[in-house]
Amino acid sequence: MSFRRFTNRTSKDQDLAEEIDSHLAHSQDAHAARGLSSEEARRQAYVRFGNPRSTREHVWRYRSLPWLEDLWRDLRFALRGLSKTPGFTIIAILVIAVGIGVNTAVFSVINAVLLKLLTYPDPQSLVQMRNTGPQGSFPGANIPKFNIWHQQTSVFQQVAAYDFGGAGLNITGGDHPEQVQGIHVSADYFSLFGAPIVAGRTFTSAEDSPHGGHVTVLSYGLWKSRYGADPKVVGTTIQLDGQPYLIVGVIDRRFVTDTPADLWVPFQFDMNSQDMAHYFTVSARLKPGVTLPQVNAQLRLAADEYRRIYGKDSLPANSGFGVASLQEATIGDTRFPLLVLLGAVGFVLLIACANVANLLLARASSRKREFATRAALGAGRSQIIRQLLTESLTLSLVGGALGLILGFAGVRFLLSINPGNIPRIGEDGSAVTLDINILLFTLGISLLTGIFFGLLPAISASQPNLAATLNENGSRSGIGFRSGKLRSALVIGEMALTLVLVIGAALLIRTFLKLQAVDTGFATHNVISMAMSMSGDRFQKTAPVALVVRDGTDRALAVPGVVDVGVSNCLPMAGGFGMSFDVVGRPKGNSPFAGGAGFYSISWRYFNALKIPLLRGRSFTEQDNGAAPNVVIINQAMARQYWPKGDPLKDRIQIGPGAGPAFAEGPRQVVGIVGDTHDGGPNRDPFPMMYIPLAQMPDLETALNSRVAPLWWIIRSQVDPRTLSSSITAALRDASGGLPVAHIRTMDEIEARNTARQRFNMLLLTIFGFAGLLMAAIGVYGVMSYSVQQRTQELGVRMALGAQASSLRNMVIRQGMALTLIGVLIGTGGAFWLTRFLASFLFGVKTLDPIAFIVTPLLLAAVALSSIWIPAKRATRVDPMTALRLE
Amino acid sequence: MSRDEIPPGTLYLLILKTLAVRKKLHGYEIAEFIEQQSEDVLQVEEGSLYPALQRMLMKGWVVAEWGVTAGNRRARYYTLTADGKKQLALELSKFQRIMGAVTKVVQPA
Repeated sequence: MSFRRFTNRTSKDQDLAEEIDSHLAHSQDAHAARGLSSEEARRQAYVRFGNPRSTREHVWRYRSLPWLEDLWRDLRFALRGLSKTPGFTIIAILVIAVGIGVNTAVFSVINAVLLKLLTYPDPQSLVQMRNTGPQGSFPGANIPKFNIWHQQTSVFQQVAAYDFGGAGLNITGGDHPEQVQGIHVSADYFSLFGAPIVAGRTFTSAEDSPHGGHVTVLSYGLWKSRYGADPKVVGTTIQLDGQPYLIVGVIDRRFVTDTPADLWVPFQFDMNSQDMAHYFTVSARLKPGVTLPQVNAQLRLAADEYRRIYGKDSLPANSGFGVASLQEATIGDTRFPLLVLLGAVGFVLLIACANVANLLLARASSRKREFATRAALGAGRSQIIRQLLTESLTLSLVGGALGLILGFAGVRFLLSINPGNIPRIGEDGSAVTLDINILLFTLGISLLTGIFFGLLPAISASQPNLAATLNENGSRSGIGFRSGKLRSALVIGEMALTLVLVIGAALLIRTFLKLQAVDTGFATHNVISMAMSMSGDRFQKTAPVALVVRDGTDRALAVPGVVDVGVSNCLPMAGGFGMSFDVVGRPKGNSPFAGGAGFYSISWRYFNALKIPLLRGRSFTEQDNGAAPNVVIINQAMARQYWPKGDPLKDRIQIGPGAGPAFAEGPRQVVGIVGDTHDGGPNRDPFPMMYIPLAQMPDLETALNSRVAPLWWIIRSQVDPRTLSSSITAALRDASGGLPVAHIRTMDEIEARNTARQRFNMLLLTIFGFAGLLMAAIGVYGVMSYSVQQRTQELGVRMALGAQASSLRNMVIRQGMALTLIGVLIGTGGAFWLTRFLASFLFGVKTLDPIAFIVTPLLLAAVALSSIWIPAKRATRVDPMTALRLE
Repeated sequence: MSRDEIPPGTLYLLILKTLAVRKKLHGYEIAEFIEQQSEDVLQVEEGSLYPALQRMLMKGWVVAEWGVTAGNRRARYYTLTADGKKQLALELSKFQRIMGAVTKVVQPA
């Protein structure tokens, strides 16, 4: 209502003007009728009426909204005031932009990772099926588990299995085979995730059964790139691993999966299988209205049934099944680190606020006379506060807008050079997008900070002692007691917060250096790895795989510059398989197996290629093939853990007892012990590990392996191996009858990826710490230069009375350093308490690391000293005559 | 002949009453009517007549529409609304109360 009045007042004013004209005309007529000349009648009419413009203005004013007018006036006034002091304005805006920018940056990652819901329909009812046990809960399933979960129709609407691309598939039939990411899924997969179909259909349950034939569903990307998005491609075939696959449908690009898929093929599980191998993931959709306690109760029954069918060794009594929200499962352990980072940027923002409040206080005290004059002219206290708040909000909103740009561009840049191993952020952080959440967040903290840093100075400035201020000579009067105290307190606060930040950064830097210093146990320099997908009917038995390995090794070794070539079923540091084992002849006690260890199947040159040292016994040779006696090599960690006194080389072990028919094999003689590798990353102790020759794998295990994982070629060269990669891939293609390789990465890159999270955290906290340090330096500099400027007279008198320049300088330094010292003490206390939240980030460094807690305060003191030095120097240059004459 | 200013606060009452009697008038006619009825004692200050009319429009006591006068001029005619009539009763009783009170004070005892 009142807004309408406000917005249409221009047209109303036109009406009024016309009405007044009409009135004047009538009045003129009346005067003329009394016999006046038309000129005189007109004059009289105007005299009677008065000034029409002032009438219109009168009406205009009460058609307006007072608060809007006031706001507009305050805003114009603020802009005018700020533009008069460009130096102050620019520094304040930059400080706010940094403070808000880092918050926007961290929040936009939190938004993408924690807050945004999964893009599937009704994501809250999606759960991931988990195995629970004393060590916590983890995903992963075998066919018997999938089968039993699938039957729990009282709580689940749909249950679907899928893998993450595993071995990869080769599109054949063209000039060059192409390796693509083919995700195996069960028939319900697409309906579970509500995948939108652009052409054709998804798999039928008949197609997902053991003799369902070769069918595939294409992704939008592959459909576009290979078929030009032609809908007629549905019903035709695509050659995968030399076999024709019927294309039954295409999925829309809106469907986003964790591992991007090029195409999907059905698992075609035999639901009667007793295969105990875990090689896929299962998710489910809860029935509407089903609660988590109901699901868990139902899954307890399912676990009992599982034990009854497959034997009590198949699932230990203290283990069972459970569910986790799919969103939570995807986020994983990222939540806590991100919240700690949010806490850290909160500190940066507080420092920025303290800094700007400080600048505003200084500004306000030099404007004391201005405020006193206004108060004397009748401005109320609330009007002065409002005026000052408008100023600080203008600063914070401009700074916030700049911070939004800075923070968003900054985080995208940071993620593109170091994705930090964070889930859900997309390729190089592409899923971190600007949305309404981020805009609202930035607007919100901009307003809050504007009020926060503006209110203190505004309140203190609006309590002028009128008479005292107006009677003071000039603006150079001493700083008010209150404002001086306040500013010192702000500087102390800045120092303390900065110290906490920098100690945090120091701990993370030390962690990162420690991680870098860890010997991973294998060579990474000049080593490259590439994946070859052994999918298809050719590689269902061990012998043909071993043949490709032998030929490929020979041909790759012939490439000039190549020093060594190894092959394995998984890469160090890139995740691998685990197997249980028994020591032949050793009593097992209560547990079903003697132990568990990481499991590699490798070629005979693997240890040479990665320079993993042989500590005892012998290494594998080319003769350790299917015809030779079964052998195994273990690492030192396994020897130490399972043969604390005995000699492993005298023992034989049985790998994978009771793991199902795929793993059935005879016992293996331990023939050697090799050095440990840090497979779980440099921050984890080496796992026990066993290695068997690739050529000695049971056929069924090779077939399974070919499905779930590619074969990794590991090549060490004299020169940068990337320069050789095209000749190596050509050699391997020749040796394998045309198989392509993919995922070509140096081991240095893989190692860097392993510490990416730590590097990301370290980088961020270092940036925050540095920003804090810079602002604290500006803060203490500002306070001290202001105090020197205010005390020019006092310094002049002291000098005139014979004080030494050096003693004046020291006096200023003492004052500044006193503030610093208090800040450092408070900050150290704070850090003592706060660094415990960093414990899970640290490696090789204690939360109360003496180096961080000694070096950081010294660094802060040094920075403070150097920023106090300039005003201190200035104090010695005060000319007593000038200073006194100013009086 | 001296003319007196309208006592503050009574302009609304005068306008409302005028419109109640004459139903539909434009601004000049309102001013004229008040002056004639008061036998030229009350002088409507024309500069404040229009702001008052604007306020009354906003409060919904009167409505206005453009029309043509007998002399073939455009003019804006005001009429009373139901709210305006209520307001007139209110203003009238207020005025009488005050007048009564003032009279009691100034009357010789």
